[in-house]
Amino acid sequence: MDAYDEDSHNRRGPDGSKGARLPESGTDGHEPPGAGGEGNGPSVTGAAADESPADDTERDESSAVRTDAHESSAVGTPANEQPPVDTDPVGGAEPAAPSRTGVAALSPRYQVGAAVALAAVAVAACVHLGMVFLSLAPANTVTKQHGKAIEEWVYPEFEQNWKLFAPNPLQQNIAVQVRAEVRTKDGDLRTTGWRDLSARDGAAIDGNLLPSHTQQNELRRAWDFLAATHGTDNRPVGLRGALSETYMRRIVTMRLYREDAIGRQGLVQRVQVRSRTTNVQPPVWSRERFSSKPVYRVLPWWTVTADEAAGGVA
Amino acid sequence: MNGLSLTLSRGIARVTESALGRYQSALIRIGFSGTWLLFLLREFPHRREMYGPDGPWSWDLGRQLTDENHAFTALMWSGGGAWFEIFYVLAILATAALLLGWRTRTASVLFMVGVLSLQNRSVFMGDGGDNVLHLMAFYLVFTRCGQVWSLDARRADREAAARARGERVRPDRLGPALWAVLGLVLAGVSLTGRLFDNGWLVPSLLWTVWAVLGLWAVVRRRARSEEPRILLDVIANVLHNGALFVIMAEACLIYATAGWYKIQGSRWQDGTAVYYPLHLDYFSPWPALADLMSSSGTIMMAVTYGTVMVQVAFPFTLFNRRVKNVLLVLMMLEHAVIAVVLGLPFFSLAMITADAVFLPTSVLLLLGGWAARARERLVRRGRDEDPVLPAPRASEETAPGSAEERAPGHVGFSA
Repeated sequence: MDAYDEDSHNRRGPDGSKGARLPESGTDGHEPPGAGGEGNGPSVTGAAADESPADDTERDESSAVRTDAHESSAVGTPANEQPPVDTDPVGGAEPAAPSRTGVAALSPRYQVGAAVALAAVAVAACVHLGMVFLSLAPANTVTKQHGKAIEEWVYPEFEQNWKLFAPNPLQQNIAVQVRAEVRTKDGDLRTTGWRDLSARDGAAIDGNLLPSHTQQNELRRAWDFLAATHGTDNRPVGLRGALSETYMRRIVTMRLYREDAIGRQGLVQRVQVRSRTTNVQPPVWSRERFSSKPVYRVLPWWTVTADEAAGGVA
Repeated sequence: MNGLSLTLSRGIARVTESALGRYQSALIRIGFSGTWLLFLLREFPHRREMYGPDGPWSWDLGRQLTDENHAFTALMWSGGGAWFEIFYVLAILATAALLLGWRTRTASVLFMVGVLSLQNRSVFMGDGGDNVLHLMAFYLVFTRCGQVWSLDARRADREAAARARGERVRPDRLGPALWAVLGLVLAGVSLTGRLFDNGWLVPSLLWTVWAVLGLWAVVRRRARSEEPRILLDVIANVLHNGALFVIMAEACLIYATAGWYKIQGSRWQDGTAVYYPLHLDYFSPWPALADLMSSSGTIMMAVTYGTVMVQVAFPFTLFNRRVKNVLLVLMMLEHAVIAVVLGLPFFSLAMITADAVFLPTSVLLLLGGWAARARERLVRRGRDEDPVLPAPRASEETAPGSAEERAPGHVGFSA
């Protein structure tokens, strides 16, 4: 299954003998690497040049020695096909085989296969990196023309966002708060006070070397998702808007049941979510001052489904 | 002209005859799988809330989103709680297998399936660290990342040593069995219409790797000529080198994007940017420490400017070994600080691993030596109770079992 590793690893052993051994393709006076490469033109040049960063990390490995050995063979010293027995005094019949590697050890017919593979990998790598680059770059003439193709290549598995704290870091604390309307056992409808779920997350993160994604990302990103898919009138936009609402509703309901034991008060009928945004006060040495008054964004009441009201989340 | 063709042929020889960066690729294999393993274990108590069918991002919500974005996730194959629990445990096992380099290629594929499935199941649970792992899990599949520092490498060493002594090496039974089981699973989910119901990229990759592994085993055992085997070896090398290049380029893209976009921000220009994340409730596990760090405007400005400079400069420093290494140390240090101060341990670990792909081989060999010695010391301490056993190093080369088998094996071979 993982024969890849065994094989190339074996090479380390007989490496010494390999310098003396010459690839069999030398027999027909063929210059293997040059011929294989020239036919491929620019794409192969690209691949060879592109690998240069790896050179640096690789310089002190045995591959350099191997390349030299290989080069001397490329000069075209003729050699007969050597039975591996020579290199193995113990008399191993099959095992010496893995010592042959690289295109030079292949006959022209197989070299075509290797060249095709090399070209295909080089092209795929370059196209992929080009697509990823364009997806990361600011909107430009190329992305305007080929935006669809880029999106189709990159999404969903190569989606990425590295604008970490950029262009400007977030300078506001956005807290998500919730209150609920509960049908008590007596049949009354009671509205609870606002509870600051983000403050609880913050408290859970304090002094924590390994914050959980449930504390650091769940509510924070659910709010980002909701804010991004809702208009200023707090109405959901499209499928994602609806999904984000359900998601937020399920998070807050789950937490009300888990952390406030709200089930003891009765059955949750509806929940209401609001955000409380406060500016992070600038450092004293910057001599700036922002308003410290929180800004609220209050969403409409949402009806909780029977399943969620029965504590069916998580 | 001659010089060009010589350079070209040398380059082609290099990328075809061996998998470059053996130690670097092994290190990132260990780093990324280790990060994900720690994450899976850390979140084990929260697994249902994060990825389970009845979590806030319920199976139904997940279905609606993946129907739209066509992301791959095996967790959509069934909405049952049992499948989820089994899958989570299997993901842990696959990650551990990759960490140890046990059946590395297969483990890397299963690792990728685990990472993509869990992350795509609940996309709103992740952060930058998950994003790095998502991409790298995919790229790792194409690398030969188990050539060193792996159980596979140790097994290969032992087999080679046994062959050199003239012993007959028992044929691998576990590999074909694993291959057959995974083939049955693939066939099962394909025939029931689950595998290909949403996007083709990952499913076809799974089938391709499965087929190639089968082909590889057949060629190694059956082929009369050597050439098919060498050709496959060449292709595997080329794929590895291409993937390693993509991984390196991806790391550069991360830093370049992070850096160049920061330059445009007014807070990065006025030198206060680093202050703000330190004072966000979600990223300040140690408020006192954050206050201490940000008490001096001069230090904040230096860190702010330094961060941007390093991120923007990094890709260009790859052309100079010494400058690159200095920057690598700086970036790893910064990420180590971020891990604690911003409370982002898994993100930081993933980024440090991505940085590590650029470490020089000499440093890695040094680290490897230290690790081996530390392990030896541990093993020796463990064996102190039983002083009859030989030193661990020696026992690794010639395990007690193989020493006994040596004589009959030798006889059998020369006969």
